[in-house]
Amino acid sequence: MFKRHKKDIAGWIIMAPSIILFVFFLWEPLLASVVMSFYSAKGIRLERFVGFQNYIEVVQHPDFKAAFFNTFLYTFWSLVIGFLVPIILAIIINEIIHFKGFFRVSVYLPNVIPGLAVAIMWLYIYRAGKTGLLNILLGKLGFPPQAWLTKSHLVIPLIVLFMTWRSAGATTLIYLARLQGIDPELYEAATIDGAGIWARLKYITLPQIYNLARTLLILQIIFVFQVLYEPLVLTNGGPNNASTTLMLLVYKYAFEKFDYPKAASISVIIALILLLLTTVYNRLVKVNEE
Amino acid sequence: MKKFLIFFLLLLLIFNGSEIFAQKKIVLKLGMWPEPTLKSDIEMFEKWKKEFEKKYPNVQVVPATYKYSPDTFVPLAESGNLPTIFETWFTEPQKLIAGGFVKDITNELKKKGWDSLMNPSVKQILSKNNRIYGVPRDAYALGMYLNLELFEKAGLMNPDGTPKYPKTWDELAKFAKIIKDKTGSAGFCLLAKDNAGGWHFTQIAWNFGAKLEIQKDGKWYANLNSPEVVAAMNFVKDLKWKYNVLTDDPTSEDWGSGFEAIATGRAAMYLGAQDAVNQPTQVYGMPLDKLAIVPVPAGPKGHQYSLMGGTPYMFSAKATSDEIMAALNFLEIMGKAPVVTPESLAGMKADAENRVKNGVPVIPSFPAWIAKDWLKAQEEITKQYRNVDMRLYNDYYNWIKKPNVLRPEEPYLTQDMYAELTKVLQAVVTDKNADVKKLLDVANSNLQKMLDMYVNKKK
Repeated sequence: MFKRHKKDIAGWIIMAPSIILFVFFLWEPLLASVVMSFYSAKGIRLERFVGFQNYIEVVQHPDFKAAFFNTFLYTFWSLVIGFLVPIILAIIINEIIHFKGFFRVSVYLPNVIPGLAVAIMWLYIYRAGKTGLLNILLGKLGFPPQAWLTKSHLVIPLIVLFMTWRSAGATTLIYLARLQGIDPELYEAATIDGAGIWARLKYITLPQIYNLARTLLILQIIFVFQVLYEPLVLTNGGPNNASTTLMLLVYKYAFEKFDYPKAASISVIIALILLLLTTVYNRLVKVNEE
Repeated sequence: MKKFLIFFLLLLLIFNGSEIFAQKKIVLKLGMWPEPTLKSDIEMFEKWKKEFEKKYPNVQVVPATYKYSPDTFVPLAESGNLPTIFETWFTEPQKLIAGGFVKDITNELKKKGWDSLMNPSVKQILSKNNRIYGVPRDAYALGMYLNLELFEKAGLMNPDGTPKYPKTWDELAKFAKIIKDKTGSAGFCLLAKDNAGGWHFTQIAWNFGAKLEIQKDGKWYANLNSPEVVAAMNFVKDLKWKYNVLTDDPTSEDWGSGFEAIATGRAAMYLGAQDAVNQPTQVYGMPLDKLAIVPVPAGPKGHQYSLMGGTPYMFSAKATSDEIMAALNFLEIMGKAPVVTPESLAGMKADAENRVKNGVPVIPSFPAWIAKDWLKAQEEITKQYRNVDMRLYNDYYNWIKKPNVLRPEEPYLTQDMYAELTKVLQAVVTDKNADVKKLLDVANSNLQKMLDMYVNKKK
């Protein structure tokens, strides 16, 4: 018994620093946040247990409904606009013979720039009037200048476009790594059997990246569901709440109103929704496989 | 080992010893100490610090530059690292008091006799349940900033070099149109990005005769969809769709960008108060002779209010009474307290000199204190260092001195109310077919819901 444990000691010692860090910087704050959502507080000093009062108040707040549905809209648009982009990019780069390294670096570049800087850059792109970059470009083609981010039905897709531009590169690299791991003999065999490029794509490439795509899909949902700084910088949630999100509400409760318990309760709600989505998704996928 | 122990004990003794000495000195951490880049401001503070420490040798002044920002404030306060005294925004006092972050300084103010010298409307902003939590650095009263270069280009100047400015909102629309047609710049800069949008709109709506919150039988009611508010909102809508005189995208304009618009000639008129006069000039380099501040235009029925508030100094909740007294004494040296002493006079002068050096108009501040001798001293110093043509400001100052012109902000959930109004503003400046009444109905019921949830329930 003791001997077995003794064998584990080295493992535990190796893990200890990360476990301590995790406990201290992730699990403890996470728990504290859940606890806080059930209390009233002054600043971050808990005062008394209030049950679900915070939850009731945030849900009843007029901004909640808009934020709730918008967050799903962001996720929806991010899948429509952004899910296939990295797959296509990866396949193209994989097929390229010359300058492969150059393209690989290029798609990843937007990730290197700090997030806020990029957001501000896109603010110039979408800027209204004759000085906006997009308007300048479209102006050359004869289109009148538009106030892009003020169109309530367009604002979320526009923000998602920016998010895709920013993060597609990193995902592309993951797909690319998987693509390069595919045994070339499969392609050779298929070519000998007379398969064209589309058949090879359909019968070899896509099945090979299916599992990876499945994981990345759910990761993307989790990531986009927590969209915060893009709308914060570009529109501050406007016009008339058309681009506000649940995380933006969290931010506003925490840093504009100093109402931390309410911020915590929305965070818990977000976590629950994501948990639910992930479970349902995994179930569906499993059913499909069986 | 023994040697080590003795050494250790000695070390402990030294440390404790010095701590005992240090405890005798009161430590005053000054949050309003200027940022390292503001060289001449720092020189001024160094001088004040030296004087102060000579006068109060038991106090040690420690620079602890803190530029208030909501996302750094709470961690700083909760970890006990807040400076003894710091400057915050005029929107924050009630929030900071409610969160228990700031110290009740009523007793200290009474000891100084300053509690009765504070401008009553300003005192109200800084108080809760008759306890006072701050002192005003400045107070502000909204007026209208003009870019005179655009007025000149549009031919809207009198022969004597003063601007012909709009006296009513109707005139404003016409003037703005002329400016837009003749110069291509926006006539008026409307804010619709964040709560400042609702704040400015409140000023417009008041002049259209609106009252945004009313009390009836001890309960508070939202009043955002009254005919007056609808008229004001329709006016704003017209500025965008009928006259087309706003900047390219009002939903991207906030308090700071408005001053940038005025300074750079992107817009000709903008609501702003006298306390922000360094924004277009020092920050955005506007020449002093191209700036004027005039009264806010009157509404259709002649209402002409000026929304007023104050920029406060507040104090760390963890500060001791001695530290608070030290902080108040420092304000005396800076000339920000309602007392006239050689030091405070020198403080006011230093401030005025510094403004001249940085190209900021030396104009009267808004009377945050009502101590007569202090007001007089301030007036004289302002006169002495004058660097602008006062004819460009006189109408504004004469106007806010009139009775019943100044009006403090609506009392409850003010920021939430501004947020609701901002949403409506965003809708009307982005949608030509926006139904103003319907949008305001929604805003009104939203605000009512919040009033019932947070204000009426607790009474």
